[in-house]
Amino acid sequence: MAATNLGVGAPPRAAGGVGSVFRRRRRGRRPKEPYNKREALAGYLFILPWLIGFGLFTVISMTYSFGLSFTDYDLSTDVITPVGTENYRLLVDDPKVLTSLGNTFVYAVLAVPLELALALVLALLLQGARRGAGFFRVVYYLPKMTPAVATASVFLLLLNGNTGAINWFLGLFGIQGPQWLVDPAWVKPSIVIMGLWGVAGSMVILLAALQNVPRELYEAASTDGASKWSQFWRLTLPLISPTLFFLVIVNTIASLQIFDQAYLLFYRDGNSNAPDAALFFGVYLYQAAFQQFNFGLAAAMAWLLFVIILAITAVQIKLGDKLVYYEGGDRR
Amino acid sequence: MTRARFRWIAAAAVVALGLAGCNGPSIGSREPSESGAANPFSTDVSGALKTSGFNPSDEVGQSRADYAAAQLDGVSVTMDKTNFDPQKFAAQAASGQTPDLLQMDRAVVATLASKDLIIPLDQCYEAFGVEPREQYYPSLIDDVSYQGKIYGIPQFFQANALLANKRVLDEAGVAAADLDTSKPEEIVATAEKLYQEKGGNPSVIGFDGDLPGSSAMWFKVFGGAAYDETGKPTLDRPENVRALTWMKELMDAQGGYAKVKSFKDSMDVFGAGNQYVKDQVAVQTWAQWYPNVLADYKDEVSLEAVPIKDASGTPIAMAGGTAFAIPKAAKNPSAACAWAIKATSSEAWMAAADARIETVEKNKKLFTGLMTGSPVADQQIKDKYVKPTGNAEFDQVIETYYAVLSNPVTSGSSPVGQTVQQDLTNAVTVALTGEKTPEQALADAQASSLRAWDQVAK
Repeated sequence: MAATNLGVGAPPRAAGGVGSVFRRRRRGRRPKEPYNKREALAGYLFILPWLIGFGLFTVISMTYSFGLSFTDYDLSTDVITPVGTENYRLLVDDPKVLTSLGNTFVYAVLAVPLELALALVLALLLQGARRGAGFFRVVYYLPKMTPAVATASVFLLLLNGNTGAINWFLGLFGIQGPQWLVDPAWVKPSIVIMGLWGVAGSMVILLAALQNVPRELYEAASTDGASKWSQFWRLTLPLISPTLFFLVIVNTIASLQIFDQAYLLFYRDGNSNAPDAALFFGVYLYQAAFQQFNFGLAAAMAWLLFVIILAITAVQIKLGDKLVYYEGGDRR
Repeated sequence: MTRARFRWIAAAAVVALGLAGCNGPSIGSREPSESGAANPFSTDVSGALKTSGFNPSDEVGQSRADYAAAQLDGVSVTMDKTNFDPQKFAAQAASGQTPDLLQMDRAVVATLASKDLIIPLDQCYEAFGVEPREQYYPSLIDDVSYQGKIYGIPQFFQANALLANKRVLDEAGVAAADLDTSKPEEIVATAEKLYQEKGGNPSVIGFDGDLPGSSAMWFKVFGGAAYDETGKPTLDRPENVRALTWMKELMDAQGGYAKVKSFKDSMDVFGAGNQYVKDQVAVQTWAQWYPNVLADYKDEVSLEAVPIKDASGTPIAMAGGTAFAIPKAAKNPSAACAWAIKATSSEAWMAAADARIETVEKNKKLFTGLMTGSPVADQQIKDKYVKPTGNAEFDQVIETYYAVLSNPVTSGSSPVGQTVQQDLTNAVTVALTGEKTPEQALADAQASSLRAWDQVAK
């Protein structure tokens, strides 16, 4: 979404030279960056430790797991038997794969917008805080530091359909709260509610983005008579849209890999205490690997999820190009 | 093809590897060892022994561990006291760094056995002159057997029984004799009579069958079972469908499963405000260990135990529990075998009972029995230490839990046991919430379990 012209004028263009990101691009071609070998070498050296770790612990593992997905691995004899695409065929034939994927998607669709909305609200509140800002930042961030097991234990009590605090609060407004942890229709919302406990990570990133919005734009908008809502909708949102876009992608990926909350709420005793509504893809993958010891199948599931996440991310990036406002001109 | 070699091939030509057929003999792999004529387990043990999953957190565990260690001169024991974790074990197995002895849930034994990750222990028992079906309850040996071989050394057998709150029963005019599970329709009627609610939510549960956790036990009551003798899932048997239908009727007569479960989740099960003190339940299904918890509040509770009977009216004893197993890659299997046999021997259990009595007398508590998994040890402990406590109700409870041990029933053993348990729990839950009919729920569960079974059977 583009920022409305508020009479401030276009963002200043820097003179040419090294700050060439502001250089007008030639039609049909990206502006060429001057290549400084020494700087580039320094950059690569700085990221070398990460590259080594990435190579060792991610690339090799991913490649190995991809190969494993075409095999039947016998843990006891360390023998790998290629089985072609058999594991993938099993995924297609297994209705629980579709069930778990469906549950995961529904969860992601519910969780991502809600978490971002709450994070943005908290970030706006923090941005407006003057006295005690540091204290409030700590308080808002504390839930993120709580171990997942402790959080799950607390939410088991909060979400209790008869005596939980959430239903008690709803009861104050005459609302009969649902059986969050038992009713299949409310199992996923209950996990979303638990997930909201950890929005502080997104909140901190959004707070930084909000603080980078130039103050003079708001002053100019106020001078022009723009309301608070208009300033938020036409100034704040567009200018933080790159950050929002980043968080949408990252949170979507995280939501599609959900495991901890679902496992702790419903599989803590080794048995599911909820219907299939609580079977998420990450949990089903874990069961394939460590209940059935079927590592080839589990690897195939992991790669299926990877491809799905890749496809969704590609779609999001495509949409983002249309919806995200980048300062300094067009991206292309 | 070794894993190391595969790693390089996978990096260079993953697709080609996927299409290639390579079933040549493995090189450098961990081949299954064939047991020859000689017993691979020796009684002359020494060296280091690493255990995992066994946590001597109380006097019972510690005294048994001490006894076993004292019997094994020359063996130094290192214990990883964390619970058995299949993920951790998979990593250990892949790296060849498994402990020598594992303690795990009995339901997991057949799964690991089917994957050839643990070794048969028939010759372990033989080496120490132990007749497993005499020293341990035969049903427990069945629980840890797979394809005719025994893969575990079981411990603990704390069977279920009905634990009634006499105050609530008396108030409703119900006698313990009315709690006859061989007449399930009457149980539903009794549950409805005992159930109370306030403001639309349960305030007293009439009859809690511990669902879905004890579903397999209720299948047995109705003559059904989760698997057959080979371990193949049989979830959709007509008897199981009848059992699940009964469970649904039982829950519906008491406000519905969701409300009952939420109410149960809010109970202070182990504390001073537990459901028997606060009269929040009339009858619950509990394993033998729970009366020990309630013994701390003996002056505030009023209890009576009733055996769980099958359709023929015979009391049955069924319970989960743990077992010791030896990984295939164990470096000191003889010491592992010796330690496990010693730690589950009658002498070890007597040492545990001695230690438990000492604690009970020191803290002026009641001794509610110690159910070891060995009928020999159970009888010895009962003869020596189970005496009138001065609390007639608790004496009756203790006596009932010992009495049901005369008919132990196996939970069954299956290489897909955990998957079946998962599917069974799911089926029970979706049936009790009304999402599916019992028939459909069990049919779907059976289909899912059979898929896992077919993977193992191929």
